[in-house]
Amino acid sequence: MYTPPPLPRRTLLRGALGLGTATALAACGRDSTTARTSGDVDLALWTHDPGYEAFFRKGIPEADRLADFRYHLTVTRAGPADIVTKLLAQAVAGRGTPDMAGFEIGSFPRMLRGDISERLLHDFTPDIAAVPGLKNDLLPARTAPYSKDGRVYALDSDTPMVVYYYRDDLFTKYGLAKDTPTWEEFAELGARVHKDHNASLCVVSTNGSDTAQIVQSFQMLLYQRGGAFFDADQQLVLDSAEAEEVLGFLCKGLRSGFVIDISDYYGAAMQTALKQGRVIGLPMAIWYKSYGLVPNVPEQKGKWRVRAMPRFAEGGGTTAALGGTGFGVIKDKANTRAATDFLLNTWLTHEGQVRRFIETGYLPTRRSVFEDPQLRGLKDDFCGGQRLFGLYRDLLPDVPPQHTSPDQSILFDVLAGNLLRAYRGDVSPRQALRRTAEEFRDQAGR
Amino acid sequence: MTTAIAGPAGSTRERAHANRTAPRLKQSRAPYLFIAPFYVLYVLFMLVPVLVSLWLSLTEWVGLGTPHWVGLRNYRLLATDVSFHRALGNTGVFVMIAVFVVVPLALLIAQALNTRGLRVRDLWRTAYFVPIVVSPIIVALIFGLIFDRQFGLLNSVLRALFGTGGVDWLGDPDLAKVSIGLVMLWRWTGYLTVFFLAGLQAVPKELYEAAALDGAGRIRTFTTVTLPALKPVTAFVVVTSFIGAAQIFEEPYLLTGGGPAESTLSVTMFIYRAAFQRQQFGYAAAAAVVLFVLVFGLSQLFNRLFGIGRATS
Repeated sequence: MYTPPPLPRRTLLRGALGLGTATALAACGRDSTTARTSGDVDLALWTHDPGYEAFFRKGIPEADRLADFRYHLTVTRAGPADIVTKLLAQAVAGRGTPDMAGFEIGSFPRMLRGDISERLLHDFTPDIAAVPGLKNDLLPARTAPYSKDGRVYALDSDTPMVVYYYRDDLFTKYGLAKDTPTWEEFAELGARVHKDHNASLCVVSTNGSDTAQIVQSFQMLLYQRGGAFFDADQQLVLDSAEAEEVLGFLCKGLRSGFVIDISDYYGAAMQTALKQGRVIGLPMAIWYKSYGLVPNVPEQKGKWRVRAMPRFAEGGGTTAALGGTGFGVIKDKANTRAATDFLLNTWLTHEGQVRRFIETGYLPTRRSVFEDPQLRGLKDDFCGGQRLFGLYRDLLPDVPPQHTSPDQSILFDVLAGNLLRAYRGDVSPRQALRRTAEEFRDQAGR
Repeated sequence: MTTAIAGPAGSTRERAHANRTAPRLKQSRAPYLFIAPFYVLYVLFMLVPVLVSLWLSLTEWVGLGTPHWVGLRNYRLLATDVSFHRALGNTGVFVMIAVFVVVPLALLIAQALNTRGLRVRDLWRTAYFVPIVVSPIIVALIFGLIFDRQFGLLNSVLRALFGTGGVDWLGDPDLAKVSIGLVMLWRWTGYLTVFFLAGLQAVPKELYEAAALDGAGRIRTFTTVTLPALKPVTAFVVVTSFIGAAQIFEEPYLLTGGGPAESTLSVTMFIYRAAFQRQQFGYAAAAAVVLFVLVFGLSQLFNRLFGIGRATS
């Protein structure tokens, strides 16, 4: 009988090397797409905010109770823009995508380009429809930014309405009325305060390295006045009478000192202005208390208050919307169902939305949760014990939708430059808006 | 026929020949095997990306799915894109600053540091070199504070010295370019100084002695001895500065984001913006190809002008 000769050591080593390489390559292959329907699930979450990580981790027991899964969470943190960039890169590579991702509202429009969202993101529309009453309970203003062709691709973290923050102690000291009804009257007070006390009541950002910040200052008042950047069909509607009025108002305010230009809402310039009492009030989103005021001027705890913004005499609402983060689920993955259930059972339940406001300060996205008695009784220590939730509930009907477009970043780039030109007086508000619209149309077609 | 010579004697010769050529063949393969990793990596990480970019520049692609072939459309659009023209113009200004301000200043500083009797020379060298090792993000943060219009250090100094401040260093389109130029100057001068210093120390002392005997003054010695002797170093520094400045990204990206009103937008930022903010990968690739062609062509021109790589007679 033939006995094969023993394999030489070199051949054995080669074989082992080949086998190891094949195994390693197989491990690097595409993610398995056999859908998990129950049992242990390790969900990969990408987010830019540690607050969200904490929220979801605490939500695991509740999610376990409501679904057939036992969840484990692996969280990766990255900058808002990096999340989209890396997600797309991993999707091209065909592996390494997360199961859930948080899209900051300014970065999400990139997902709307071409058919990226349809290819990559789970459509929540059927899930929302499957829960009785949920569709009508969800605020359309907060599903609009993450929707395309009537499909919802992410669930928002907040109803980030814009309010007016002010220093209660300095308003009293300077004899300023705290309930001035219109912006126009308020601007007159502001000019006087600036002249007498070198303080300003409104802020615009001129941060050259952050076009979104420059645009935000204008966006808040524009949306409050009833204007918008894009309509529901993603068409540019910026070049409007409302926009011209708001930009004119800000430019005039800069000349009178009612408005001050600050290079960064969140950095050293704003901190200095706040500490020196140069800025004693500003319109900003509700999350600015946690991200702008508390970190910059913790020693001013108890001195700040929140009120609704003054109205524009010519019309518009009492609030606007600014910011937000939509959580989406990556489609066609083994964990897609599990991640969807997790999000619905933590982010979208009544209890989840109450907990979200208490733990993170982000307002509910379901209309019914605004009636929750627990939330209405909460006091805010930084704002001198104010019960803020009642104010937010009253402002809710005025929160405008934020329609976006894949070309939003183009608009922000050209608008930021023209806003700065108008602030400096190089062009009139009318010219700035016209130029913006022209430059946008020129570039958006590419 | 070849078989006719395959006799017993021939066989012996052949075997002997074969015995000699086998190790020779092995030996002749060895150098290629040793240099193969470089070429494999070069092909994988240089040639393939360049060729893919070239192909991508002829397509429209959002970053996912299949790119659509559009031929030369991206190049036609670039030709009429005002933003791209601005980016080219701004990059040209940064290149001018690098070549005509940073390089001469580095040469002067090197000359000063090379002076006999200079005290704490190593401290000066370190002080000039340190900016290059500082992270660009830190640089941007610090200069952002320095250039701030209302609360910045530079305006505070101006206010204290001349009673006037409030200069909008980063908000004024022209001044923003100057501010980026100042950061480039601060960051790169010391680095280039090191090259000039090394060149200066290699100039034979006899040349200076001869110049002194001829009664040449400092300026004449500098122009007739130092500068010609430094020609190879200068050529290297100019070409590398040109290539570096043509690809400038960090300073404007971190300090001004390309603003205000695209006044500091560089070509590399334009490429980044198109690819990673607007999902226009084909368009970005076309801009990258244009940048490559420009930088490559001008570098070749500089090489010929300075005679880099040619033996000096």
